[in-house]
Amino acid sequence: MKGLSASKTDHLHKIFYPESVAIVGANRVPGTVPYDILINILRSDFQGAVFPVNPRERAIGGVKTYKYVLDIPDPIDLAVLVYPSSVCHMALQQCGEKGIKSVIIISAGFREIGGVGIEREQKLIEIARKHDISFIGPNCLGVINTDPAVQLNASFAREMPENGNIGFLSQSGALCTAVLDYAQAKHIGFSKFISFGNKADVNEIDLLYYLGKDPKTRVILIYLEEISNGQALMKAAREIIAETGKPILAIKSGRTEAGASAAASHTGSLAGSDDICDAAMRQAGIIRCRSIEEMFNTAIAFAYQPLPENNRVAIITNAGGPGVLTTDASIQEGLRLAKFSDDTTAMFKKTLPKTANIKNPVDVIGDARADRYNIALSQAFKDPNVDGVFVILTPQSMTDIETIAREVVTVAGRFDKPIFASFMGEKDVAAGIDILQRNKIPHYTLPESMAQAFAATYRFKQRLTNPEKPFAPFTDVDKNLANKLLQEAKKEGKTYLSEFEASKILAAYGLPVVESRIVKSAREAEANADEVGYPLVMKVMSDDVVHKSDFQGVVLNVKSKEEAAKVFDRILQNVRKHQPEAEIDGVLMRKMIPAGEEVILGVKKDVAFGSVVMFGMGGIFVEVIKDVAFRVAPLGKEQSLKMIKEIKGAPLLFGMRNRPERDVDALEESLQRLSQLATDCPQIKELDINPLIVLEKGKGCFIADARIII
Amino acid sequence: MQKDEIKARVKKVIAQVLGIDESEINDEANFIFDLGADSRQSLELVAAFEEEFDIEMDEDKALEVQTVSDAVDFIAQILV
Repeated sequence: MKGLSASKTDHLHKIFYPESVAIVGANRVPGTVPYDILINILRSDFQGAVFPVNPRERAIGGVKTYKYVLDIPDPIDLAVLVYPSSVCHMALQQCGEKGIKSVIIISAGFREIGGVGIEREQKLIEIARKHDISFIGPNCLGVINTDPAVQLNASFAREMPENGNIGFLSQSGALCTAVLDYAQAKHIGFSKFISFGNKADVNEIDLLYYLGKDPKTRVILIYLEEISNGQALMKAAREIIAETGKPILAIKSGRTEAGASAAASHTGSLAGSDDICDAAMRQAGIIRCRSIEEMFNTAIAFAYQPLPENNRVAIITNAGGPGVLTTDASIQEGLRLAKFSDDTTAMFKKTLPKTANIKNPVDVIGDARADRYNIALSQAFKDPNVDGVFVILTPQSMTDIETIAREVVTVAGRFDKPIFASFMGEKDVAAGIDILQRNKIPHYTLPESMAQAFAATYRFKQRLTNPEKPFAPFTDVDKNLANKLLQEAKKEGKTYLSEFEASKILAAYGLPVVESRIVKSAREAEANADEVGYPLVMKVMSDDVVHKSDFQGVVLNVKSKEEAAKVFDRILQNVRKHQPEAEIDGVLMRKMIPAGEEVILGVKKDVAFGSVVMFGMGGIFVEVIKDVAFRVAPLGKEQSLKMIKEIKGAPLLFGMRNRPERDVDALEESLQRLSQLATDCPQIKELDINPLIVLEKGKGCFIADARIII
Repeated sequence: MQKDEIKARVKKVIAQVLGIDESEINDEANFIFDLGADSRQSLELVAAFEEEFDIEMDEDKALEVQTVSDAVDFIAQILV
């Protein structure tokens, strides 16, 4: 994992592990950020030296103050700037002159306010470049490092969180404070806590790499409001996951669909930015969470427990209903109920009450106390058919909740398999939950959340065990020809390439186009029909008519040359009637492709992630059914197959009832080839192959219509 | 009013509002970065200049003024 340069790594390390910190712009007004930051550093038991900088005060918080950072006699590892935005550049300039390489700029009033704020931020970037400074911010909450070796709270968060192994990155400062509060109540600890604000210099990718290498961080969480470089994010995530095995959990807010409505293709209108973000994150192995709660539910699973070897769970409960609920949730999440070994069954039969259910889910009965939980849990852990244990408790009059919680902790500590708990209720179970949380047993209020979190760890383990092969480009493609055709079209001022023109480009990448001809008159149609072959499909060629079938501009099953001549005239009449101003280039004639399953393949250029490939069930109702999947190009064989299987209509392709199995191999190859075309020719803004007709297994697939927008 | 007189009175006002010695105030001193004015004091400075020179200043524009010499120029323009 390269990621960060040596100097950037060193600069970032000094942000988190400084031996001396200057608070530039500190004041003595309680309740203000410049004061609180200083006091937070002093109170966090920081192990280094602290130097407040203020032009007028002699001392703040009992610590000697310097007029300028340049006046501090000692070397400074980290400067935290808290001055108003109008003078931050002056402070940063002095940091540069002092040789400080690591800076956090807390102050707001930059890019986020527009106008003069953008100029101010640019000034900071220029000074940082000139003096080789790395800075986090501006417009951020600051940074916390709970490592006992430093104990640094260089932020205006109210309290220092508990020490732990979760690294948290956030674009929003305000969200950080809410997250800290949430985590504190559940005893969730952090290794590093970073609010990166406007990311004018150090960005989320740098910080991901840093946390990837940080030995104190086991799980990385990130909250993003915008993704400026999706490709870099995916690359960083892939490298970190592959090389360190650390999971990355992300929340990406802002699910705007703006822009999709203006699209000129099916793919364009179907590919919303959020769908693409979703697909890209999954592709890169990032676990996307929909809420803070879901994020932490999943994070504690990774942070506290070993990864499961497989997906077979044992459920131990003291009530039937919750056992069934958990079973349902587990199956829903793709988990399996473990089938106990004979040893386990015999042991349960011998030691549990006769009324107990000794099959999975194991019901130890409402009067179960800690000893009975101990027996059931220990045996479940020992069973080689069990990959993880769900322990459920409902508070009944004889339930010794706290003792059971302690027993869970003790038993869990003896085995290297994951255990997840759900002590259901609120008031009565609170003390038991507290014991579990303090002892790093992941606890969930709802069995559904428990199953969801376990499933996330299982899928992640699968990804680590079976990494995907990288995309192997096809060598029989003609990149030069495709680019030449696209350049020529651009020179001619074209933005839309018809089926006839698009086919040549698709053919250059080995995509299954069928030879076609364009005829300009009924006579030409008659003369060419025999050579093209019957039955024919004929369709209008016009840059002005995008959706041809809407105006009866497509006629199928033409069986003779006489009919071809008549159809030519009819198509022209239909189009002229509905769209009189359309400029018609002619009528395309092609031999009809035999009946098969109609699918759509597409490409869309996304601002953040680059070229994206779409796949779904095709035809004219594609935008109504919206049964589509996305991947960032290029994509290899495994991703192509996963994409095909992801849509609801997938069983239609793999054979069902009386429908034959289709040529999925050919379809999957087409997806790969299309993704290579999209990567090699980034000038393609949108592309539709709709429909691609997939014939029976072994008989291939063929492009029935296509268009490209550049 | 001559600029030298404006400057002397500006420095007197700054010294009073910020509680510092006039001799510490350079012409190019920045109110925040060199003299340590906080946001409350910046507003107080604007009010004190208005009172000293019997003028009215646009508050947004006045708060953009960062140095002593800029303040002198700004007030001189109003007094013309």
